[in-house]
Amino acid sequence: MNSIREFLDAEKPEGYGKRVLEELSKLNEKLNAFNNITGRLGEGMPFSVKDNICVKGVETTASSRILKGYMPAFNATVVQRMLDNKFSFIGKTNMDEFGFGSFGLNSQKPARNPFDENYVAGGSSSGAAVATSVLKYHVAMAESTGGSISAPAAFCGVVGFTPTYGALSRHGLIDYANSLDKIGIMARHAADIRYVFEMIRGQDPNDTTSIEGKYASEDRKRIILVDQLVNGIDKEVESSFMGLVDKLEGMGYKIIRKSVPFIEKAIPAYYTIAMAEASTHPASYSGFKYGYKNEDFTQHYNQFFTSAREQFGEEAKRRIVLGTFVRSASVRDKYYSKALKVRSLLLHELEGVLNEGFILSPTMPIQVPRVDDAGSLTPLEVYKTDIMTIPPNLCGLPHVSFPYAYHKGMPLAAQLVTKQWNDEAMLGLVDGWEKGFKYRFKYNIGELR
Amino acid sequence: MDDREFSRLLKICRIQMGEAERAKVKGEVDEILEYFNSLGDVDTKGMEEAFHPITVPEKLRKDEASDFNDINMLLKNTKTYRFYVVGPNV
Repeated sequence: MNSIREFLDAEKPEGYGKRVLEELSKLNEKLNAFNNITGRLGEGMPFSVKDNICVKGVETTASSRILKGYMPAFNATVVQRMLDNKFSFIGKTNMDEFGFGSFGLNSQKPARNPFDENYVAGGSSSGAAVATSVLKYHVAMAESTGGSISAPAAFCGVVGFTPTYGALSRHGLIDYANSLDKIGIMARHAADIRYVFEMIRGQDPNDTTSIEGKYASEDRKRIILVDQLVNGIDKEVESSFMGLVDKLEGMGYKIIRKSVPFIEKAIPAYYTIAMAEASTHPASYSGFKYGYKNEDFTQHYNQFFTSAREQFGEEAKRRIVLGTFVRSASVRDKYYSKALKVRSLLLHELEGVLNEGFILSPTMPIQVPRVDDAGSLTPLEVYKTDIMTIPPNLCGLPHVSFPYAYHKGMPLAAQLVTKQWNDEAMLGLVDGWEKGFKYRFKYNIGELR
Repeated sequence: MDDREFSRLLKICRIQMGEAERAKVKGEVDEILEYFNSLGDVDTKGMEEAFHPITVPEKLRKDEASDFNDINMLLKNTKTYRFYVVGPNV
């Protein structure tokens, strides 16, 4: 189903745009999906932008106090390409500060799950997922470093696509970890994602890591279940997931089980690399160039920067400290260098597996947690919930999360992974799934009656 | 990580913490590092360091100046004196 085409072809009643934004603003008071809503909606299909992607003249903070008030003087490449194609920008979406989180709670006003506000929205692209779940016609520009598209898409019951690393330009993205960051797309249907992806991908002279990929479209009709990703997870998730596997088998897919030794080591490898890279960025947030201003210029140089950094949240401070440590000369080989080699090993292992077919797993090993329960987890317990989403992110592999069932009113989602540049075949499988399964949404703001 | 090492790190990172926050974060950092130590279980002999997950072709832009037309908007983000950005004492 292509709702973009449906929206563009439909006749909109007078005052449609105003009504949509009014309803959205009202609901936003409850769900905190947006950090700001622009207050105008043109003729084009609405799109939102995660708050770590620059939009010219619109406050962009990555949900951090240290960037409060920052007004980019340019559009990120993906934003410019959306605007060039007549899409209509509606606002900046909430997120965990700088992308540091899995549940959306590391924000000053955490986004809430649209199915039930007592549950988390997932992170770090929490607002993008909530916006996609509540707006009938909309696509979200989101971003993933270690699972920041899949996790919130899963918890909010929408489709979340993270492309091959380098497929979409990162120019205008506020860095978390350069070698892991990927801009991606959320929507209610895989066909909408394909439409937008084809429109905005491709090399950008402003991002040396962006690539004009040699896209394939290979579906070998095989689904691979990796033992380490389907064993030892929440029992309800496991049994529902096996129901999905049966249905895919019914659609003509052969199911193969495989073991990928050390795949669980993707978590420490990922966090080591991500924190090491993240710890090099705070130099930009100095208290006088962007965002927060420390206007006491009488302070000593060190004191000036130290006081500016009091604006960082707790998770940001923790990651900066850890990242600085693992890059230290005395332990670099033990942590940072070792993590890069583990990434190399996993790239090799997963490439072999993905040459045989798609890897399928639940997107998250747990059901959607309540806000209180997620908030009481230690940082390490939170990191370990990323076991499904980290391997493809660490290795730059395209992946997509899509809903496949509902349990006690909350969505359950699966994640499909494929080899680099085979993004379209993977989206094609989800498109096929959608022909026989209807996604549920609690809100349909903007519905054309 | 001992207290001295942790203090050194905070100083390098220019991050200040109160006593309670410091004790909490240090405990969490120790637990996370213990977990990172499990990378040692993986045999990576012969493996290269993968700085990127894809092969990034070497690309160079022409070494030439280009116009940036929105300097005023850029300067709106800073405190300025005439056309200078005001910063801390060095």
